[in-house]
Amino acid sequence: MELDDLKSTWQNEGNTSTQKNLTTSIINKMTQKKYHSKIKKITLPEIIGISICVMGAGFIALNFNKLDTIIFQAVGVASIIILLILSALGFLGLKTLNIKKDFDKPYAETLKIFAMQKLAFYRLQKINIILCYLLMVTIIVLLPKLFSNKDITEYKYFWLSTFTTGYIVLFFLSKFVSKYYRKTLQQSEELLAEVI
Amino acid sequence: MDKKERFIAAIKENEGFIYKIAAVYTNNTDDKNDLVQEIIYQLWKSFDSFNQQSSLNTWMYRVALNVAIFQLKVSKKTVPTIPINEQVINYRNTDTIDNEERWKIFREQIGTLNLLDKGIVLLYLDNKSYEEIAAIVGISKTNVATKLSRIKEKLKTQIHKNL
Repeated sequence: MELDDLKSTWQNEGNTSTQKNLTTSIINKMTQKKYHSKIKKITLPEIIGISICVMGAGFIALNFNKLDTIIFQAVGVASIIILLILSALGFLGLKTLNIKKDFDKPYAETLKIFAMQKLAFYRLQKINIILCYLLMVTIIVLLPKLFSNKDITEYKYFWLSTFTTGYIVLFFLSKFVSKYYRKTLQQSEELLAEVI
Repeated sequence: MDKKERFIAAIKENEGFIYKIAAVYTNNTDDKNDLVQEIIYQLWKSFDSFNQQSSLNTWMYRVALNVAIFQLKVSKKTVPTIPINEQVINYRNTDTIDNEERWKIFREQIGTLNLLDKGIVLLYLDNKSYEEIAAIVGISKTNVATKLSRIKEKLKTQIHKNL
């Protein structure tokens, strides 16, 4: 099959009666509002994530008095900073999604912007994973203090169970993220090389 | 004819292309309908900025393709690259395959291309001249010719590789 063989299929696809269904009233409706907007569906998990991070940071700040040693206080501050950075990254992602687009641009130019934004997004995901590793350590250290005001060293199997579980979960999550994005990342880089 | 009437007439004239673009850049009916709506919505929003430096048709193609790209981003989807199957290889021998199957094969072929090549091919298949493709995509006419020849070669090679 060659490219010119595909032409007839392309032409036929446009001529099928099922596809020509745009009446004046439907077009009118479509110009008024986006009744099937996907943006909300995409931004909801991001908003939930940001809210959890902010609430977490707030919770640690409110219970800061329970952290009685310099080490616990340092870990508490580190956790708050990580949670706030994660929220900021979430906002950054949302901002990128909602940025005003100029659809009048030539297609190649749009592709260039698209590929660059994709690369930036994946870098952001990598930072997110690294921060989550750090957060896991700090939160595990803080949890017993914050909830029962006890030192984690008092729990016999605490280190073994929580760190092992947390690390395994994050390890597989990061593996999944890098595997999931590797191909798309490569495609974006190739695309960028084509359009620049 | 007022602005809205001109817009509606232009959409009706080009709805075939809008639907086809939406079908190629999405994987199911819901996404396709969403994309059709998004394209029309964005065309209307940008209708005032159409400055007649290019033809209305060229402008509409450009906006439609650009919206399709951003819709991919919003829905966090990529156009899948599907391995070419036996049906594609035997395409010339299957005279009886219906339109649906032909369209499936078409998508499989187009799905192997990157987004830039995909856009160029779709315009070529829609009988756009090299000048028009160059204007819509924003590359030179020579570059369009080079890329199309490379794409044709690529599609041929893929078929042979799978034989």
